[in-house]
Amino acid sequence: MVAQGIPEIGAYIGFLFVSTVALIIVLRLLVTPRDPRPSPEKKKPFESGQIAAGPGRTRFIIQYYPYLLMFVVYDVIAMFLFAWGLDLRALGASGSLPVLVFIVVLLIPLGYALHLANHRENW
Amino acid sequence: MAPVLGPLQPLVDMITSPLFLMIVLFPGLTSIAIIGALLGWLERKVTARVQLRVGPLYASPAGGILQMFADLIKLSFKELFVPENSDAFFFIMAPTTGLVIGAALVGLIPFAPGLQIANIEVGLPAFLAIITLSPSLVLLAGWSANSKFPFIGGLRALFQQTAYEIPLWLSALGVIMMAGTLNLAQIVAAQSTGWFIIPQALGAFIFLVTSVAEMERLPFDLPEAESEIMMGWQAEYMGVLFLAAQGPGFVKLYAFSALFTTIYLGGFLGPTFLPPLFWMLLKTLVIIVLIMLLRSTFPRVRLDQLLRAGWTTLLTLAIVNIGITYLLVVGLPTL
Repeated sequence: MVAQGIPEIGAYIGFLFVSTVALIIVLRLLVTPRDPRPSPEKKKPFESGQIAAGPGRTRFIIQYYPYLLMFVVYDVIAMFLFAWGLDLRALGASGSLPVLVFIVVLLIPLGYALHLANHRENW
Repeated sequence: MAPVLGPLQPLVDMITSPLFLMIVLFPGLTSIAIIGALLGWLERKVTARVQLRVGPLYASPAGGILQMFADLIKLSFKELFVPENSDAFFFIMAPTTGLVIGAALVGLIPFAPGLQIANIEVGLPAFLAIITLSPSLVLLAGWSANSKFPFIGGLRALFQQTAYEIPLWLSALGVIMMAGTLNLAQIVAAQSTGWFIIPQALGAFIFLVTSVAEMERLPFDLPEAESEIMMGWQAEYMGVLFLAAQGPGFVKLYAFSALFTTIYLGGFLGPTFLPPLFWMLLKTLVIIVLIMLLRSTFPRVRLDQLLRAGWTTLLTLAIVNIGITYLLVVGLPTL
């Protein structure tokens, strides 16, 4: 029964995609006006009325990088808990003990990582 | 049925099949477009009433209800061009795919018994997995525009995702532990003895907060903060593409409110003197107005405040919620 509903959602997403793309192409070709000779200023990036200076992809904020590293690890771990939660009634207290130990063991490095991440001068 | 129409018979069969009508008409495309436009009107009207203004008024006799359709026509007739030095393919692809992803979520929601496009066994994780793509598309839109404000907005979306994603999944885990199934229709059926919002009150609160952050609405609209970074990742979009960039916000609001109703408020269950669809839409509308009032009530948080709150307060509360749910389902440990 795993495949139940999969063809329907596939057909639905395909229909949405085709109709959205078709809508935008039709509007682009039939409705929206065109400027045959746009002035060079027109296509400049928007910088609040100033003349755009420098590259668009500038240096970016890195002080939250530790959160990205933690996310890569702990987002996967949240998936494992779904398999456990689904069969919780069948597993009972004895079957759940390893998972509870797993959660507690993982919370200790999470706390230490948060301690480091909140001290941004380390990064 | 005898094929009376000759070669056209398969086409007629397809068009009149219930699945096709569901995809095109009610839970699907047409209703999503109309509901998205009406939600845009409702949001402007609710915000205006909170701020003692009038809001849209002139576009129809009924309080400007056609305002968003007028905006839609206006935006369609605007010129469309791509800024210089931008990656045109991804610049156009990102909002278009965002619109598809937003509307794809609605296909997983059971609106009434049988009125559901795809009854997948893993409906709840599938919903959360599809929505995970949307911050990546925001980053793609910001990167491909090759402009400073969109780039900052896209990066904010990336960091914001790390703050809310894990509490969102862990609060949904509480519902799965109570129901023992991942199928949304069976989760609704499991609530016939009592809505999950009562045993899962903490989980419902976390789910609501993190889903508002996922929708990038105030107080968590960091990627598009108008007053700081000029609509962020949407700054370079115009005309129909601006519409395609704005639209998913309202469609996701509709889909997330319907999901909240489905997993916490008993979905389409209700007194039988009115049809199930009425109860489903009524509860969804209540959640939508609640989220709109949040927008009028709270100021925008800073990125570091959101990250710290997501990784400490919300994550701790989500784990506490899992502990409470464990005790509710399995019972106290017998020593």
